[in-house]
Amino acid sequence: MIHMENLVKRYGSVVALDHLSLDIEEGEVFGLLGPNGSGKTTAIGCLLALLKYDKGTITVLGKEMRPDSYDLKKDIGVVMQNVAVFEQMSVLENIDYFCGLYVKDKTRRKELVEEAIRFTGLEDYRKARPKKLSGGLLRRLNIACGIVHKPRLIILDEPTVAVDPQSRNKILEGILELNRQGSTIIYTSHYMEEVEQICSRIAIIDHGRVLATGTTEELKNMIKTGETITIEAVAIEERLIAELCTLPHVFDVTYEEQVLKIRLSSAKHNLVRILNFLTERDISFGRVFSELPTLNDVFLEITGKELRD
Amino acid sequence: MLFLFRYRFLQIIREYSVMFWALAFPLILGTLFYFSFGSAGLSATGESEWDMIKVSVLENIDPGDAPDENEYFDNAEAFSEFLHALDGDTLEIVPADSEADALLALNEGDITGIYYAKEAPSLTVGKNGLNESILTSILDSYNQNAAMMKDIAMNHPESLLTAMEALGDYKQMTQDKALGGDTLDPNVQYFFALIAYACLSGAFLGVRASFDSQANLTALGARRSVTPTHKLTLVLIDMLVLAVIHFLDIMILTVYIAKVLGISLGNNIPALLLVNLMGSVIGVALGLAFGSLTKMSLNIKMGLTVLVTLLPGFLAGLMFGNMKNIIEQHLPIVNRINPAAVLSDAYYCMGVYNDMERFQRCILILAFMSILLLCTAFLGVRRERYDSI
Repeated sequence: MIHMENLVKRYGSVVALDHLSLDIEEGEVFGLLGPNGSGKTTAIGCLLALLKYDKGTITVLGKEMRPDSYDLKKDIGVVMQNVAVFEQMSVLENIDYFCGLYVKDKTRRKELVEEAIRFTGLEDYRKARPKKLSGGLLRRLNIACGIVHKPRLIILDEPTVAVDPQSRNKILEGILELNRQGSTIIYTSHYMEEVEQICSRIAIIDHGRVLATGTTEELKNMIKTGETITIEAVAIEERLIAELCTLPHVFDVTYEEQVLKIRLSSAKHNLVRILNFLTERDISFGRVFSELPTLNDVFLEITGKELRD
Repeated sequence: MLFLFRYRFLQIIREYSVMFWALAFPLILGTLFYFSFGSAGLSATGESEWDMIKVSVLENIDPGDAPDENEYFDNAEAFSEFLHALDGDTLEIVPADSEADALLALNEGDITGIYYAKEAPSLTVGKNGLNESILTSILDSYNQNAAMMKDIAMNHPESLLTAMEALGDYKQMTQDKALGGDTLDPNVQYFFALIAYACLSGAFLGVRASFDSQANLTALGARRSVTPTHKLTLVLIDMLVLAVIHFLDIMILTVYIAKVLGISLGNNIPALLLVNLMGSVIGVALGLAFGSLTKMSLNIKMGLTVLVTLLPGFLAGLMFGNMKNIIEQHLPIVNRINPAAVLSDAYYCMGVYNDMERFQRCILILAFMSILLLCTAFLGVRRERYDSI
């Protein structure tokens, strides 16, 4: 559905997109995961023909995307990172206005507007002006304006920034529902939990480069970390940490603020083996957690830094 | 497309602060003009108010070796009475004790001329100018009429009374009348320039609206840019909505000037409506073009719009009444392409000259410029990809 190849975009001397290539298939919920400034929004801007780029090609539905590709734009819905609604118009008027930019038939427009209002749970706020809405409701209105015309491709650029957990869950559920109704979704975020929760395929990007692409499982399988064990323990000596590193499957041990964090490759009985090791050496410990690898581990292992750095 | 028009209309008129200032500022300015011109405002603006001309009249001048002393003093007295009859109307007679005092006052510019009341009246002026010419005309007029009366008295004494009555009726034979038969108020050009400026101030509305079409400036611009509605449609709808709103503002201003302030703007209502409409269109088109073409931030664009509206207004005589005439003398092309000057000229043709040929030319120039600006606005946003958003 979307093909981006060797995209290069520079802001002066800063390379925002560094030979970025992506392929997104119809029906996917495709996640673009990366920290702030990694190039997610720039990539979306280029995809929508809003931004100039220095090199590369972009095709949408097999056609080159240009500023005057009005036939392609009919099939695309965009939810911008910044709320883009008219302050002077009510919820209903805003949704109807933006729907009208896509759908000319009045009856059809009315149906779509009502559907979008129901879908985003804004039934009680039809006549409210945007400044009377909470942050969560405003984001929902922003989404309603972007998806009201039921597009084939929906691009959501960090739609949950500054949204309360309740609204966030509603938004994420809504996105999955849109996908079930047949829309292909491109979802950019720096919240790995969200991306992991809703995306069928993910591209991790940083410094304008795609570092890895795949399903959540595929990404996790790419890295060495199979399990992370976290143990609250006091007075762990350097010697003991060195010994821990020699244990089978252990490849990284850190000890900070009385928390011992051990990364291990995937193997059976890792936790038992570690706890036995500590017990044998009379090391007292408190709470113990064992976690499977997350996308943050993937990002950490690939880039050497936390996703939220 | 009607619903797009309706929503854009609602959105813009609900921007209360923008709407308030778009209407209130010209109304306030018009009111200030009105009160300024009520007193001695005109002279402060550089306009030639019909001031009385200060002169001194030297009387009781030694007849010297005049052949008939009685005739000498009769003539001198008649001229003196004639001048005193004009005192407080055209002339302001400044007393002078001697010729030396009068010459001193003339050299220092306190008076414009010195009349010598003698058998053959004469005038001394310090320089050339309009007031000096008027003083000369008064003297010439007196001499001609005196000679004519003398001639009639000598040759047709029976007609002397009739001739004097006819001379007295002179003023009733002439009547001040504008070429268009509409207005003679010299202040009206300021109000025409003010309406022209108010029309151009539609540029603020245009610039503000252009932000909503530019993805690099506002999120709304980005959202509207990714819709399948053609950019030309969006620009035309903006243009139409803003022109209607601005036209209503200009009509309110016009009615306020004509009905509340009592300034006569002429009686040709259809022409007034047409020029107000064209003024609204060109103001908005100027703003849309300026806003769409220039790649600057919101605040810089709004700041420069002040210049874009005030400079043409200044050149059209908004702040200094003679400016348009000065430009007409030295660089007339500026008056042809300055929308404020063309607008002001259109108002003048309609309200004062009643020159409909020139009026039509002004309207055509405005229409051409509006189309040009609208095309510029469209080209500015048409296939625009931005460096950054």
